Amino acid sequence: MYFCLQTNNKVNIFALEIWDDEGAKCTFYTVKYENFDTNETDLFFEKYDAMAEYKEANQDLLSFILLAIGNDHGAIDELFNRAENEVKGLPVQGKVTVDEITYHYPDFPLRLYALKITNNIVILFNGGIKDGPTNQTSSLFVEWRAACEFAKKIEIALRDGTIIVDEKNRKLNNYDGSDEIIL
Amino acid sequence: MRSKVAQRILAETPEETKIFARLYADIVVRVNQLLKENKLSQKDLADKMDKRPSEINKWLTGEHNLTLRSLAKLHAELGEPIINVPQRKPIAISEGTTGYVTVYRNASVNTTDVEYTNAWKKSKTNNKTPLANVS
Repeated sequence: MYFCLQTNNKVNIFALEIWDDEGAKCTFYTVKYENFDTNETDLFFEKYDAMAEYKEANQDLLSFILLAIGNDHGAIDELFNRAENEVKGLPVQGKVTVDEITYHYPDFPLRLYALKITNNIVILFNGGIKDGPTNQTSSLFVEWRAACEFAKKIEIALRDGTIIVDEKNRKLNNYDGSDEIIL
Repeated sequence: MRSKVAQRILAETPEETKIFARLYADIVVRVNQLLKENKLSQKDLADKMDKRPSEINKWLTGEHNLTLRSLAKLHAELGEPIINVPQRKPIAISEGTTGYVTVYRNASVNTTDVEYTNAWKKSKTNNKTPLANVS
């Protein structure tokens, strides 16, 4: 299944695709920039898998996402960190909250950003190393801002009905029921 | 369908890492469920345990690694076990042969040891097709 969320700004053209739907509780989507071969979540995991000092943390985080969230519990609030990552200023009321997946372990160095649609559907973005007290002062600032931009556009598409949430089948559909949309 | 990158990294991940990730999430979810059932906030729990709310928050958000001692304190205050350690019980498999089963005990339920047997009791034959009980 493939979604294409396209805007007038070429920089922001990206696709939305399933990253993992094999877990019993949660389907994970990811985003991929136009003309990129690799999606943002794979870029994150490949990058830190190749760095010896973060390889173990990377495996911890992947296990937490796929097994604990994806298979055992779903995307329940207790397993997400919602600190200091709100995106405001949408054209309609409300706000988008980009969640931060923080593995439950002291001083865990990696953060991966996510947009929780329901307890059973989550969109994963990119992330980085949390080396400062806030996102703004960490080296992952660029990834955090990008995640917020992705999230804003997806949230707008969800609100105007371009993307329909199919809770029963744990998937996202186009407004006409197909699994491919262009905005 | 799963990302090939995720498949590869998960296949290379040690089994203990996968077990730890699931177990820790189970504990965090369990403690939060018990707090909700007992209508307790993290601050209430901190007061009961004579600890600072920030310390309890760190337990539940992963900033502190939970120790066996802290799990025991949570068990005592919340009135229910957080983790359960299984036991091995001998069973008679056949005459002169014994085997073992893993038994999970629940501390809040009184149980008595029973003699295990591998002999099945034959149930009564029911020749009638079961129908829904509608009157």
